[in-house]
Amino acid sequence: MLAAHDVALAYAGRAVLDACSIEIAPGEALVLSGENGSGKTTLLRVLAGLERPDAGRLWFDGAPIEAGSFPRAVRRALQYVPTHPYLFSTSVRANLDYGLRAHRIDPDERRRRTNAAIEWARLQPVVDTPPQQLSAGEKQRIATARAWVLAPRVVLFDEPTSNLDRASRAQVVALISELCAGHTAVLIVAHDRELIELAGARRLNLAHGRVQAPDAHAEN
Amino acid sequence: MDLLEPTRDALYRLASLDPALWQIVAVSMRVSLIALALVTPLAVVTGFALAMYRFPGRRLLIVLLQSLLAFPTVVIGLLLYLLLSRRGPLGAWQLLFTQEAMIVGQVIIAFPIISAFTLAAVQAADPRLHETARLLGATELRAALSVLREVRFALIAAVTSGFGRVVSEVGCALMVGGNIAGLTRNIPTAIALETSKGAFTEGIALGIVLMVLALAVNVVLALTQGGGRGTPSIDAAWYRG
Repeated sequence: MLAAHDVALAYAGRAVLDACSIEIAPGEALVLSGENGSGKTTLLRVLAGLERPDAGRLWFDGAPIEAGSFPRAVRRALQYVPTHPYLFSTSVRANLDYGLRAHRIDPDERRRRTNAAIEWARLQPVVDTPPQQLSAGEKQRIATARAWVLAPRVVLFDEPTSNLDRASRAQVVALISELCAGHTAVLIVAHDRELIELAGARRLNLAHGRVQAPDAHAEN
Repeated sequence: MDLLEPTRDALYRLASLDPALWQIVAVSMRVSLIALALVTPLAVVTGFALAMYRFPGRRLLIVLLQSLLAFPTVVIGLLLYLLLSRRGPLGAWQLLFTQEAMIVGQVIIAFPIISAFTLAAVQAADPRLHETARLLGATELRAALSVLREVRFALIAAVTSGFGRVVSEVGCALMVGGNIAGLTRNIPTAIALETSKGAFTEGIALGIVLMVLALAVNVVLALTQGGGRGTPSIDAAWYRG
């Protein structure tokens, strides 16, 4: 479904990704680990279309896609939740509704899906709280629900539980597990043991600018 | 000099709705509000584009914009006068000594202020904001409007600063408006004229109006910002159906 082939990207002459390839199949759960600075976030940003690689190609459902000009259907099907997601200062509901409105979903359906997202991510206690006053865990759950509400086919998570307390971490892991159970493909960059050990997830490692199986990394 | 008597007379003239006095206020408000309505969209788009996009000549434009901030209004008035005077390149338009000429002058004066404030506000905005909007499927236009919405309080401050500048400037209005009673005499030109004649009552009355205007603009700004902080702006009831 989503693939990157031989992607290379360098910052200030330093190669971050070097002929890096990865494929995510429909409904698949992938956990990507790697040392700090190994390029995990960069890879996710390339896959999300936020960074244009120096070389290599991205593919979605077998068709090539270009960073910065993803077709609307791909933009909706492929969501990215960063480590520190940005919430618009409007309201929790408006944040959940933003993507639906951008994709011109009709108002009744938007209302129905927004309410479903609130229920799914168990956001009822914070739904009337101004976004600026939410905790990091609550923001992460809202960002996850904001992606979920668009019914994406693949969601990229960048260290979704870093800097969260134990309770918030459990809540975010539960949401991601539910996403996986709902046959949404996920690629998670994680150091968190609970995420790394996500049931049924394929584990990968990023080292020397390339994605490798964990065993291959151990041999290096 | 006794200030008490002219101040008392000034308050009396304001309270008695002296038509000559309030007509001057009306000219000021009409000219300044039309100028702001015309310049604000253009200035905001310019400031936003300079903050968000990289293109050749961008740095030069920013330097030019910042230089225009310190440009004396009387020089803007002089240049406009030369352009609009009968023998000037735009003399055929017959705009000199009209409210339209004053509006053009105020547009030129307000443009760099509103643009520079917008530029600073958008540059200071969280870089994840535009990215998030695009990731969620927003078009470039919708993402831009989302950014402007997030920095709306800074934009309101930009527009009110522009208003404060144009409503109180005297140099350009005097040169291209001509201070014609009932037509182009506005608050600052009237104050300058009456003070030069030694007639302080009208000057003080108009000065009070200017100060009340400045205060009102700042109160509106403070109330808007106070109300916006952390207040969900979208009606929750709509989502509940």
